[in-house]
Amino acid sequence: MSKVLRIAIVGGGIGGLTLAVALRQRGIEADVYEQAPELAEIGAAVALSANSTRELRRLGMLDALTAVSTEPSELIYRNWQDGGRIAAHPIHENMSYQGICGAPYYGIHRADLQRILSGALGGAGLHLDHRLTEIRDLGGATSLSFANGRSVEADLVVGADGVRSLVRRFITGRDDTVYSGTSAFRGIVPVSKLPTLPDPKAIQFWMGPDAHLLHYAIGDDAEYVNFFAVVEYPKVWPHADKWLESIEPGEAVAAFEGWHPAVIEMVAQHLPVRWALFGTRPLLHWNRGGVVILGDAAHAMLPHHGQGANTTIEDAITLAELLPGTAPSGLARLFAKYQSLRRARTRKIQRSSWITNALLHLPDGPQLAERDRQVVRFPKNFGWIHQFDALQTARDAMQTQLQPAPPHA
Amino acid sequence: MQQTEIETAFAELLERITGFHPAPIGRDLHLEKLGLDSLAKIDLAVAAEDRFGIAIPDEELERFVTVGDLLDYVHRATA
Repeated sequence: MSKVLRIAIVGGGIGGLTLAVALRQRGIEADVYEQAPELAEIGAAVALSANSTRELRRLGMLDALTAVSTEPSELIYRNWQDGGRIAAHPIHENMSYQGICGAPYYGIHRADLQRILSGALGGAGLHLDHRLTEIRDLGGATSLSFANGRSVEADLVVGADGVRSLVRRFITGRDDTVYSGTSAFRGIVPVSKLPTLPDPKAIQFWMGPDAHLLHYAIGDDAEYVNFFAVVEYPKVWPHADKWLESIEPGEAVAAFEGWHPAVIEMVAQHLPVRWALFGTRPLLHWNRGGVVILGDAAHAMLPHHGQGANTTIEDAITLAELLPGTAPSGLARLFAKYQSLRRARTRKIQRSSWITNALLHLPDGPQLAERDRQVVRFPKNFGWIHQFDALQTARDAMQTQLQPAPPHA
Repeated sequence: MQQTEIETAFAELLERITGFHPAPIGRDLHLEKLGLDSLAKIDLAVAAEDRFGIAIPDEELERFVTVGDLLDYVHRATA
């Protein structure tokens, strides 16, 4: 009988928890090490598109999600100043989105998602207050040391530790983060405080010169709006070790001077910080020895396709589906298959999110006509993101053998 | 790697991604003419990275206009 694989997941965010739940569904136990003393997701809210809700449904969580989520009525693109509708695509209306993509589109508070995921895990194997400080390759196993003084050994280590991943550093030996030259103000506002907001249940992009604001409703009754307002500065991020900085009261309002009153109502909320937007450069290898990464650790992206959390969930499902039956000696083969399934797709979304930033921030002028055509075509052009079925793709790939390694030149 | 070896392997990748098998591969053929927009070029780049064991950064990829541009890059990177 083959030895049971000892699995350590670094990071108890969306990716780490989804992986642990998906593994448990397949009869595999894993330990999750989270640095925070309690589970408290940062970053307010998240939009879950069909490519992840179809997986969460397979994990038996759809009813729990539905109870605390809002499906946007439409996806609307608006002019920054007069609020004119440039393009609108139905989502909840006539169940259009589910009809096309096969699963719902949900706005949800991150804390709710994390509660549902950790509830599915039932606390088993979740170790809080474990901040990773060192990874060592023991040759055949990997040791993890934590700031609380504990050390553990594992056959398989999965780094789900975010854009600033220490696990990624172990794999690539360098810092692969790239600052985008853009930053964001974000917040959650009761709808009752947004009297001039048209279509409060829609997911909407307000597009203007050098900035945009995205918002969508969350909660079971769409009572709150989560917004994310992006500006093209600072050009250089001045902090090496943090991605938040305090701002002066009124700074966000000043940045959106002259915009539609609904935009002003949002950014006029108490906004204490600015968030730097980082990505990572595309990586050639997602693994080293018995260590592999997923989610933002492997492919952090700008949020303009709303795909950071969704592609993280895809990664976790892919890895979980490929894993059963793997012995320590089979990890290299597992990682090759995982990478071959994930690298091109996530790199395309990374790249496309980067390009979309420019599209959302065009100055008023002749280029707007082409941009407007592009946002009209959005569902057609980006259906491949939402319609993707990670589980089925992994199953199909397991039917076909890995290509034999190419002969050395 | 030899130029001819690269071209043969590259033709296989191209066929896998575009369904099109140019024989012989025209170096002057525009990637766009093969239906490779900027995102489809990433499919080709990742396949080439895996096949040849090299890294093709996004900045380089943006500069490739013809099949020859990509072949030359692979040739240099594997030399």
